[in-house]
Amino acid sequence: MPEGRLIALEGNGPELRVMAKRLAKSQGGGVSAWDASSIFFEMRRPDREVPAPSPRTLVLLYAADLAFRLRWEIRPALAEDQVVIAAPYVESAIAFGRAAGLPHRWLANLFQFAAKPSACYWMKSQTGGAAWMGKPSAGFLEFCCAFLNSGAPLWDSQALREKVRSYAESLERRRGCRILDDADSSL
Amino acid sequence: MSSSVSRKRLRELLVKQEEKRGYLIAFEGPDGSGKTTQRKLFKSWLESEGHEVVTSKWNSSPLIKPLVKARKAAHSLSPEEFCLLHAADFRYRLETVILPELWGGKMVIADRYVFTALARDAARGLELDWILNAYAPLFWPDVVFYFSVSPETSGKRIAATRSPKFYEAGQDVTDLEDPFVSYQKFISRCIQEYEALAKIFQFVTVDAEQSIYDQHKLIRKLFQQGRRRSLAEWNFDAVLDWRENVLASPEVRLA
Repeated sequence: MPEGRLIALEGNGPELRVMAKRLAKSQGGGVSAWDASSIFFEMRRPDREVPAPSPRTLVLLYAADLAFRLRWEIRPALAEDQVVIAAPYVESAIAFGRAAGLPHRWLANLFQFAAKPSACYWMKSQTGGAAWMGKPSAGFLEFCCAFLNSGAPLWDSQALREKVRSYAESLERRRGCRILDDADSSL
Repeated sequence: MSSSVSRKRLRELLVKQEEKRGYLIAFEGPDGSGKTTQRKLFKSWLESEGHEVVTSKWNSSPLIKPLVKARKAAHSLSPEEFCLLHAADFRYRLETVILPELWGGKMVIADRYVFTALARDAARGLELDWILNAYAPLFWPDVVFYFSVSPETSGKRIAATRSPKFYEAGQDVTDLEDPFVSYQKFISRCIQEYEALAKIFQFVTVDAEQSIYDQHKLIRKLFQQGRRRSLAEWNFDAVLDWRENVLASPEVRLA
């Protein structure tokens, strides 16, 4: 049975999209991007009358979107022996969940349905002040920051981003990923 | 605040809140079991007894329901997506309606609760442990009324009024074209799951083949005989999760 290669490219912001395209070109594969199911797009105009969803709810929605991507984009491509760049994949959601205080065990169990990638890279993101930060269209983490702050200001977006960055560094130390910057030409 | 201090303070708060809070009563059972009729009668009775009552229906959150509805109409949901979107809808309602209203002293009636997902998603072939994890941390209702009917009765009652919808009939997993035939097959699996859950989670089973009035009388009696589940004992993790991650402002967290 033919079997392709799944490469997870984790991270946030426009750099992730650029690197995903670069990787896909160099590896001769395709990209599976966040929100292919358009769940988050449909939620982008939040009715200010309704309370913001919690981090746990947002992670459940991410998992639903990932299930969609696996069914329609990732598994079919792998079955045809292709390379798929999943940008982002499981670890970005786990990083956000951990940053928001959700238990690792819950997160790991939730994403059990996702195929294990053969390699995992993490796109180093900017430290702060970028124009795209806080925009729901800029990626899952920014979507979450924007939504969590549409309610009462319980969440500090900058602190969430910092915790996500720490998670990536810790994952790299455990050899769970390799952190890349946009100048990285080794791939 | 350290984690152990916050846990200790929450435990004290839960004990203090116990007498002030409302009850959570879940109505469960297959389609056509008459639970909505009983839920309405029960709500009227509770109100006549002087309680403030709030109803939370399955898949009804203003944020997530439209997403689910559109995807159901397009028949585009896999069992995993079906489960995860309903879990998100449930979590949102739990955090924004059910828990705040209970905490404020109102009676909350849930027309379907987590057990609906356990029965339906398990009938769709998903593993029970994974489904339970998606709904964790679980907030246990004070009482779960389970309306028990045979697959035949459920099928007859549904067929008398309408044709079952695609997912209701389980056509996404049975691959049967006829919605009535598919419904019969799928509801049999759901009822099997429900019956197992009723034993594991000690539901209060109501024979839904009885007359509407007899069922209503029984529910009132069983409710009056029942007692609330201790928050600190049964629902500590779920309340902690809610207060730590959802409540509106830091000063009300464990204040």
